[in-house]
Amino acid sequence: MKSLLKHLSPFAPDQSGAVSALFDFGGLIVICDAGGCTGNICGFDEPRWFIRRSAVFSAGLRDMDAILGRDDKLVSKLQAAMDGSGLKFSAIIGTPVPAIIATDFKALKRMAEKRTGLPVITVPTTGTHYYDRGASDAWLELFKTFATEHFSIYYDMVGILGASPLDFPTLDAGNLLSAALTKDGWKSVKCYGMGADLDDIRAASAATKNIVVSPAGLAAAKYLEKTFGTPYEVRCPWLPPQALDALPALAGKKTLVIHQQFAANAVRDAILKLDPASQVDVASWFIMEPEFMRENDFHIESEEAFIEAVANGGYDAIVCDSRLRVALPRTMAFKNIDFPHFAVSGRLLDEAK
Amino acid sequence: MNHAFSITAAELAARGRENIPPELLSSAHLIYSSPATLAFNSPGAQGFGVKRAGLAVPGSVMLLVAPACCGRNTSALGCEAALAERFFYLMQDDTDIVTGRHLARIPEAVKEVCDSCATRPSAVMICITCVDALLGTDMERVCRKASDYAGVPVVPCYMYALTREGRLPPMVSVRRSVYSLLRPREKVPTSVNILGFFSPLRNDAELYTLLHSAGVRAIREISRCADYEEYQAMAEANFNLVLNQEARHAAADLQKRLGIPSVELARLYQTDKIANQYRLLGQAVGAEFDDAPFRERAEQVIANFRNRFGHRTFAVGEWLNADPFELSLSLIRNGFAVSEIFGTVGGSNFVYVRKIAALSPDTKIYSNLSPSMMFYDGKESHCDTVVGRDAMYYHPELPGVAWNDERQPFGYAGVAALFGELANALSGKEEHAR
Repeated sequence: MKSLLKHLSPFAPDQSGAVSALFDFGGLIVICDAGGCTGNICGFDEPRWFIRRSAVFSAGLRDMDAILGRDDKLVSKLQAAMDGSGLKFSAIIGTPVPAIIATDFKALKRMAEKRTGLPVITVPTTGTHYYDRGASDAWLELFKTFATEHFSIYYDMVGILGASPLDFPTLDAGNLLSAALTKDGWKSVKCYGMGADLDDIRAASAATKNIVVSPAGLAAAKYLEKTFGTPYEVRCPWLPPQALDALPALAGKKTLVIHQQFAANAVRDAILKLDPASQVDVASWFIMEPEFMRENDFHIESEEAFIEAVANGGYDAIVCDSRLRVALPRTMAFKNIDFPHFAVSGRLLDEAK
Repeated sequence: MNHAFSITAAELAARGRENIPPELLSSAHLIYSSPATLAFNSPGAQGFGVKRAGLAVPGSVMLLVAPACCGRNTSALGCEAALAERFFYLMQDDTDIVTGRHLARIPEAVKEVCDSCATRPSAVMICITCVDALLGTDMERVCRKASDYAGVPVVPCYMYALTREGRLPPMVSVRRSVYSLLRPREKVPTSVNILGFFSPLRNDAELYTLLHSAGVRAIREISRCADYEEYQAMAEANFNLVLNQEARHAAADLQKRLGIPSVELARLYQTDKIANQYRLLGQAVGAEFDDAPFRERAEQVIANFRNRFGHRTFAVGEWLNADPFELSLSLIRNGFAVSEIFGTVGGSNFVYVRKIAALSPDTKIYSNLSPSMMFYDGKESHCDTVVGRDAMYYHPELPGVAWNDERQPFGYAGVAALFGELANALSGKEEHAR
């Protein structure tokens, strides 16, 4: 059965992706839920929540709130929490509950902006999609809301779009990605979501170009290109050394790389650089942008399809989060290189060692 | 909002139960989910939430029928391999949550799950969430259909976070679910069940000794049942001892279905109240318990602690194995001070607030769930010792105990163990994780 998981547990959902994208910007984030979704997001999908106080709240919806659609009550609670807090914006993140009762997020945004007098971002996630979609929507809304002014280009400045712990499983990912670009000669690197602040978002139009490190950043990159003419480049300037160090053993082999598409593509490039005769396919459970796919790349639709693809693929090696290994029969013989993906296993690199 | 809201016990008692300030009522504000509150604010988040609790039935597996987001944190529960192998997921998509078409797939999914298990499960617990609460799903009917199709008992577990403050909150409902598979058996007068927790009482709980002294031979707890047959033997009990009010509904169901009456005991830390409770239990079951040696020991442990560490000032949290207000009252009555309590004031514990107000009017009461807790500053506190995992979060620099082990403390032994652990923490004998 396509929708049945018998070995794996569900991956990070869209609402977690949305919170991850917005977490670093000092706004008040309200998850429009009864408490359970917030527990999942904070307690599992947002590792930064454990190390610093953050304004992430549950709307605390109860059955009658949902049945009667008491948006005004939610807005009043939001206003009370914002008053005197010094926070610069708020965000309302959707979950299955508003999806079922068809909450009008546009109206909610207007009401909340009127009451708080500050920008409000709404992301109508439903909990049924994966994190990258939620993150993509949140990035886009964030830039649409705050990156409104056209600044002169600052020629030494580059932006990084699509970085979050869900895709780069270390809390230091912002610094590591930025350092890689600094090495390339960029003097000012703004890693949106992991290091950059709200003023950097406002000044996003000053960037010479943007580097898109995951499919979640692509929609925002296209928006910035269309609005300000900022070009973008898709590439992954940093990958976990533990995965890279193991790649020489894969030269000349048939390998499947499973991760977010752009990181997986970077691993493929690294293997092909070692031996252009290697055969490397990329697959992902998450967004696969057709323009960055090669022949034999594929989207993984289900646990069943994953097992079948590996069984029939004739791969010598698989580079993926080792958590995925539990779905595969032990009789399947191939080399497994661990490439942690927080959105899959909830493991940070330090924990993966 | 730029400082943490608190109210003194005296002010709160003066306002009365009907006039609790909105800052202490979770329905009146956004809910601040800090690391201090996660475990009890989310019915599936940590510890024994609905998902893990539903697996209390020996040999059972769980099929979570929900959008992917609801099952996400189960990856963390799945760190224990044995538990991971008992979770399965039927994921709902956008169309499912609007049309409810996923319900038709459940019987087949249950069968596929059973067929994939090396050992046939004793039961399949179907965990459903807010989605089906709003769709108004008749899951009892779906479970009957799935049971007929797959040839295995199928039981619904309602993880309805939306109903957390309703008549039947998730953790109350799941307790009924896990006992719902018991079938009528001939009563055995010397058998007793302990209801309330999903993990056993500490082995040193005097309750075991007292019940044995009254002629009870079999004391059963669901978490100690090795297999499904032993679990079914719970149906022979002469009476149920309910140690957590969240099990009241389950006990009432067992009385109705199996004719097993129940007696409720509270987990207390005031030794005179514990004694009173045992006296009343004795009257109810026609026995006289000799609890004096246990009481003496517990009071001696408290005295030793006081002599050794002097007049301590406590911060007491609510993420712990106690009612924070009852525990605070106990500490105050034993000669200690309580400067602050992080707790949820409700109908059942307001009586303790009044008593605390009389003895320690300046004790501050905070709500963990108030958005203002984002601004809590522990430097303004006068406490020097903390109890409760949440209190430890607010005061990471102070010695204390989390006191939220899965093994459940109860009675005098619980009191003695608490002060024993506190003594260890204060003397630095044990390294306490912070």
